[in-house]
Amino acid sequence: MRRIRRTAGGLAITLAVAAISLYPVYYLLQAAFDVGDPDIRPPTAYGLDNFIAIGDYAGILGNTVLVAFAATIMALMFGFATAWILNRTDVPFKNTLEQAMAVPYYLTPLLGAFAWSLLGSPESGLVNQAWVGMGFEGPLIDMTSPLGIAWVMALFEGAVAFVMIGAVMKSMDPSLEEASQVMGGSRLHTIFRVTLPLVLPGVLGAAIYVFAEMMGSFSAALVLGTPARFYVITTAIYQLVSQYPPRIPLAAAMGTSLFAIMFVMLFFYRRMITRGSFVTVSGKGFRPRVIRMGRLRWVMFGVCASYVALAVVLPVLTLAFASVQKLTVALPKWSDLTLEHYRNAMDMNAVRQALGNSLMLGLATATIGVLLAFLLAWTIQRSKLPFRGALEYVVMFPQSVPRLVFAFGMMWAWLVIPLPIYGTIWLLLIAYLTVFMPLGVRTITGVMVQLDKSLDECGRVCGASWAMRMRTITMPLLKPGLYATWMLLFVASVRELGASILLMGPHSKVITPSIVESWFATSSELTAAMALIQTAVIGAAIALFTIATRRASQHKV
Amino acid sequence: MTAPHIEVDDLIISYGPVAAVGPVSFKVMPGQQLTLLGPSGCGKTTTLRALAGLEQPSSGRIRVGGETMYSGADGIDIPAEKRGLSMVFQSYAIWPHMTVFENVAYGLRVRKRPAAEITERVHAALDLVQMSRFAGRAASALSGGQQQRVALARACAFSPTVLLFDEPLSNLDAKLRGDMRIELRELQHRLGVTSVYVTHDLEEALAMSDQVVVMRAGHIEQAAPPDEIYNRPRTSFVADFVGSSNLVEGRLRPDLSADGLIALDVAEDTVIYATSYGRSVKDDVTLSVRTVHLRVTTHRPASIRNVWAVTVRRAVFLGDMTQLHVIWAGREIVVRCTALDGIAAGIEAWLSVDPAHCVVLEA
Repeated sequence: MRRIRRTAGGLAITLAVAAISLYPVYYLLQAAFDVGDPDIRPPTAYGLDNFIAIGDYAGILGNTVLVAFAATIMALMFGFATAWILNRTDVPFKNTLEQAMAVPYYLTPLLGAFAWSLLGSPESGLVNQAWVGMGFEGPLIDMTSPLGIAWVMALFEGAVAFVMIGAVMKSMDPSLEEASQVMGGSRLHTIFRVTLPLVLPGVLGAAIYVFAEMMGSFSAALVLGTPARFYVITTAIYQLVSQYPPRIPLAAAMGTSLFAIMFVMLFFYRRMITRGSFVTVSGKGFRPRVIRMGRLRWVMFGVCASYVALAVVLPVLTLAFASVQKLTVALPKWSDLTLEHYRNAMDMNAVRQALGNSLMLGLATATIGVLLAFLLAWTIQRSKLPFRGALEYVVMFPQSVPRLVFAFGMMWAWLVIPLPIYGTIWLLLIAYLTVFMPLGVRTITGVMVQLDKSLDECGRVCGASWAMRMRTITMPLLKPGLYATWMLLFVASVRELGASILLMGPHSKVITPSIVESWFATSSELTAAMALIQTAVIGAAIALFTIATRRASQHKV
Repeated sequence: MTAPHIEVDDLIISYGPVAAVGPVSFKVMPGQQLTLLGPSGCGKTTTLRALAGLEQPSSGRIRVGGETMYSGADGIDIPAEKRGLSMVFQSYAIWPHMTVFENVAYGLRVRKRPAAEITERVHAALDLVQMSRFAGRAASALSGGQQQRVALARACAFSPTVLLFDEPLSNLDAKLRGDMRIELRELQHRLGVTSVYVTHDLEEALAMSDQVVVMRAGHIEQAAPPDEIYNRPRTSFVADFVGSSNLVEGRLRPDLSADGLIALDVAEDTVIYATSYGRSVKDDVTLSVRTVHLRVTTHRPASIRNVWAVTVRRAVFLGDMTQLHVIWAGREIVVRCTALDGIAAGIEAWLSVDPAHCVVLEA
């Protein structure tokens, strides 16, 4: 009896979660294969015409691959160099650098795109202004070119590559290298015959992951490429959906293709990390052997510091520099400095409302999301429910769909679902919860697997019910992990662009898409001010939350 | 005759199609301690966890105090939190976010006892393990041995009638383990609680139990009191696992068997006399002879049976004992003795053993 009830329960939960994470894909596919009358839903005829039509846009596919490929190479170079330096050498100020490497994640590529556009657009970019001012010919750098877009994407994805490659290096047993040296292998021999073969599968896995992310990335290409009519697949989809008249079926076909490519790549990525790499098998953390670099260590410091400078310091300074000028020039006069953009930004009703909405959504997404993610992670990791393997799969599914494409499917779905949610803030909340669930579940799972199972089992044997064990044992022990997850979800929601830009309505504006609108519709100086305000608000929220949680956890111990 | 407190009948635990344990059956009398002993992977911990309700069996029956906790046939499976048992975990499972007091009070709080009673009983339990001084201490600030004691106090505090121990001493260092062994045994007697104990440590099992169940690959090899397990192993596995033993194979010589002893040919003109202890004797017999029951002397001992001239091949000094390797009937025999009397490698000597210590194995 109990077993049957459990099976039914497991199946019900899995199907419910599957429905929530899969229906946008259903509507996406429906639109992609729709070749009937465009004004009638559901479709009157199905066919492959939309996919064949993608052929006319071969240039866009080429652009996408070119940008993603160049960006992946650069991001891996940044990631590998910084990971190797910070994990394997005696570089000075190691801890500070390591913390600084996390900042690009909070800054978003959008901010970087604005800043690098101000610095390197061919006509008015500050660097090019200075270059021409010094008497040289033509633009020095062109950020609207494919390589420029790739550069900005790589700067921000470099931090992700750093984390992934760093994890591979940390999980390598240093005695494997020591063994080679003891057997008489020279240092170079050891690097080529032992170290590289051992870390290669992990680095390759990171490469696939980063490439897939780049294929689906949106904001840098939108800000830098669109004005110059340079499209990648995500910006093309956005263009096709938001233009008049929209070309929904074609956009859907593109979205489906992109999703299929990413899905296959992430499938291979997961296979590689689960069985390919020898290094990650042990799952144990080692203290990697540190190589003494002598005076070279200052060069190593320079490499890491310049990465942080290019990805964090320079963009923020550029935006700050632009935001206080009437019109951005390389050498402004004192009299041209002004704070009016900040005043304007704060006075704009749209901005205040959008920022308010974003913060509300961030709070709601983070709070509900942590709870849901905790329950799902617990069910997957700790319950004995049947179908929990399948549950894990459907929970993580949205990860392999670019947020823009996922939101497109949601938009198309909620236009026909007879609930008055379309165009409201509720749709955004549902979207955020769905697309960020993998992030939440992954983060909580990471902490949960470190928790000794017998801590909960002991509570059971002592006679405590499930609810009591959750309240007195599991939740308190996971508190740091839950706080961290809350923070991640909050930041991710407040700065979200790809899903929000399609799903927000005129009365449910959120901040990031509003900033992008301002970039295209008003001045870049005003946009810079808005972007900095958003960054400052996020920073303040992080600081507040950190202080509050630190105080809360100090009470206990 | 009193009824057993714990009864396990034909319990089978499977992971998928593979049976990890079983079928196993055993009984524990009220106030007694039964120990599940075996190498890692033999299924002893799984069996204990099934008893606690943490592992779901696939068939069989578990009864505690006359109440059915699990029955495959009747579809009964009481969840762990409703079984009213108590357990000490191998990792201690001390909750690091609570104080020592809160850890120990947990079972009482679950049972919603009044505050005064909780305070009193927690202190009583902590007194029992000499940890009262630490009541206000954060549990994360305890040493391994202290955590062990707190885990024990926590398991006893709500006066359970059954205590389960999952290798509770395996994470302690050797010296502390020896002390805790004795303390645990005394505590168990004082509380009169029925307990089931899991260990892979032979001395622990022999020192602490009323009944020992030796397990191997999910099956019971022998269930008996400690002295019987040690002196009369039933199988070669038990003989080997429970202390070091020489296994000797031979052919039955019915013509020489007399005086309740049986005689075996182990080589040309080497006969050994052994005791069957009522076990059936086939033509080909395996004997267990403990290394400490054999004697090596420079003078010929007075007894008539089981005395042979041998050469000492090697002597290995082990501290409390010296291990001798002697050549006997064309094979090497291991002897452990305390007194050496001038015995060293290379000398000729006499090997002897009491036939009562040459035990016929069943399998």
